[in-house]
Amino acid sequence: MIRVVSLRKATLAGVAGALAWTTVLGAVDLLGLPLFDIVKALGTLAFSADDPLAWGALGLVAHSLVGICWALVYAYFFWGRLPWPPALQGLAFSIVPATLALFIVNPQFHLMHLDQGVINLSWRTLLPSITLAQLGGLLSGHAIFGLTVGAIYTRPVGYPACSARPSRALHRRRSTSGDTRRQPGSNFIFATGIECSYPTIDHGRWRRDEMDSTGHYERWQQDFELAALIGASHLRYGPPLHLIFTGPGTYDWGLVDGPMAHLRDQGPEPIVDLCHFGVPTWLGNFQNSDLHRELAEYAGAFAARYPWVRFYTPVNEMYVCAKMSALDGVWNEQMRDEKAFAAAAFNLARASIAMTEAILAVRPDAIFVNSESSEFCQPCCPDPEIQRIAQFENERRFLPLDLIYGHSVSEGMRRHLRDHGIKDTDFDGLMAREVPRRSIIGVDYYEWNERLIDSDGRARSLGELFGWYVIASQYYDRYKRPMMHTETNRMDASDGPRWLWRQWHNLQLLRSTGVPLVGFTWYSLTDQVDWEIALGKAIGNVDPVGLFDLNRDIRSVGLTYKRLIDMHMDQPGYGTCPALEKIMAQ
Amino acid sequence: MSGFLSAHGYEPGPTQRPFLAGAISGTLATAPAVALLYVLGSLAIEARILGLPIAATIIAGWLLMAVAGAAYARLLGRAANDRRGGWLFGMAFGFALWAAGGVFILPLAGDGQLPTGLAATGVFLSLVLWGGCLGAILPFVHRRIHLELDEPGIAESLGPSLATHGPAKR
Repeated sequence: MIRVVSLRKATLAGVAGALAWTTVLGAVDLLGLPLFDIVKALGTLAFSADDPLAWGALGLVAHSLVGICWALVYAYFFWGRLPWPPALQGLAFSIVPATLALFIVNPQFHLMHLDQGVINLSWRTLLPSITLAQLGGLLSGHAIFGLTVGAIYTRPVGYPACSARPSRALHRRRSTSGDTRRQPGSNFIFATGIECSYPTIDHGRWRRDEMDSTGHYERWQQDFELAALIGASHLRYGPPLHLIFTGPGTYDWGLVDGPMAHLRDQGPEPIVDLCHFGVPTWLGNFQNSDLHRELAEYAGAFAARYPWVRFYTPVNEMYVCAKMSALDGVWNEQMRDEKAFAAAAFNLARASIAMTEAILAVRPDAIFVNSESSEFCQPCCPDPEIQRIAQFENERRFLPLDLIYGHSVSEGMRRHLRDHGIKDTDFDGLMAREVPRRSIIGVDYYEWNERLIDSDGRARSLGELFGWYVIASQYYDRYKRPMMHTETNRMDASDGPRWLWRQWHNLQLLRSTGVPLVGFTWYSLTDQVDWEIALGKAIGNVDPVGLFDLNRDIRSVGLTYKRLIDMHMDQPGYGTCPALEKIMAQ
Repeated sequence: MSGFLSAHGYEPGPTQRPFLAGAISGTLATAPAVALLYVLGSLAIEARILGLPIAATIIAGWLLMAVAGAAYARLLGRAANDRRGGWLFGMAFGFALWAAGGVFILPLAGDGQLPTGLAATGVFLSLVLWGGCLGAILPFVHRRIHLELDEPGIAESLGPSLATHGPAKR
């Protein structure tokens, strides 16, 4: 699948475009300016011109069908590629069908209306003369069609945030019976994940829902089977918080009972991700200072309903979530100021802690994988201001983890937080917390995580300069906790296998230095949608980062990961992972 | 379009057999197309233009459509496996074949003669129908004939030494 397309919207746009063309040009005809009549040209291919009802009906239906086809072509190949208002994108697209109509279809219509069996080829037959009225009709008709299609076909993925359900029906299937999952053990974690981000955009009005866009709600059973097929022992899985947690004390568990039963009975073992870049509409956004209470209630209820779940990620990538929501203005509250960032980071950390405690109250032996994006900024030059920016960013990247792990921050960062609304009493409350023994730092790594602060003070992507080994070491040196590589992928599908092995070699090297590493993750199982624009617009572009594409056909990187797992899973140190064994013994 | 497809990782995967799947699908899709050509009288006109008996015209058409199906599957790669959009891609391909073949190649191959009237409509509709059927069938054919993950040699080139390669070039 190259794009996620809304067939419903494209069909509507195509029919509306065809009708708008017919209506407007019909009105112009009534005003005494006859232009090319597409409906008549189509209808009279089968019916006599003396029978207007018959050719009118056939022509209208045929024109609408052609309109639908062109609207779908627009949706698949053109929509969202020009940085213009949607209607103008449609207008630009209309040049394609207009050109084909002018040079191919219209001359052929001419031949189709002849009744001579065969005719000899000549320039006149291939390009018959065209009247100004025909030319005007064709061009203006296509322009009207394009404008209409462009105006109607927008936001093919996601759904209104106030809507209770995704656009596509959720499949409430029951899990097939059977118990083929290996008993939960302490093997090295070979994981993949179901991409499950659900932030809002357009100032809270539009919900992005990756599990909806990637078809997981319809194909969850197949997805779990594919994860098992390549040998993944664990699956990072984020039930849709915004759909399940429908109000204070109310939950729609029916959405996940089937998938959770399947994971319990047949695996892979889930690492349950409870909050992934978004909250239910009724909770507002990450500026909500009561978030921790509500999310703790949800986490406790989840743990009580699925008491067999061992692994949890209470809040995924807190730093990224706070930055994208409150500093970069892309998701949720869409703010762009330091105070909002500090509030979001603090609220997220507080929520993570409260959720952890709620889970521990139900399942005291739960294991927490606190996934965070690994970040690093390199100053470009000795300019003191550039050095200061890099140093500040390199400290700020740790902030949410510092808050949940009670790690002290520098006096400069403390002052920064104080200046931006974080009270000393609140901060000290988190610092005094006892961190659960079974906590693992998940370090995600992508090619854009390393940045150069350029001479203008802007952060530019460096690509893979130092690599996961170096960046993850910085996180280990700070927190001295067991670690896991919890996310990586490559936007260039053809480079995926190389990237996978390089990440694996990084992990091997870090492991050999004595760092307790418990797992590795290729994220995600399937391709993702619109991540190349950070989900900021609802375009529907497919990012080919998955082990499988959205048709669920395996990619080379999927086969590579299977080979990697097959090669290592029974080797010493993997069949039983000493680092994980140690965590579980605590 | 090819750049757009390429940007989305469209290369057929290691388990896929695009040529075979395309050829089979192209062959299967020809049946309804031939039926339509026959019903609309286009088959006889095509045979007349090409100077062949009808049976030979059908056989030649069938072979050509198998090759065209294989070309379609290779050209569209992973996009051809899309169960939702396949019919549309196939229909667009059928339209392109009509524009290139039905409009230009047929008269060149047949002494400069072109079908007109219902026969011309039949040629157009049969190619669009063929494309639509090809695109709709291919995802299902592909699933039946792709290689299994445990097929010997399938992952041979995907071992750890890949890490030593430079980034893939476009």
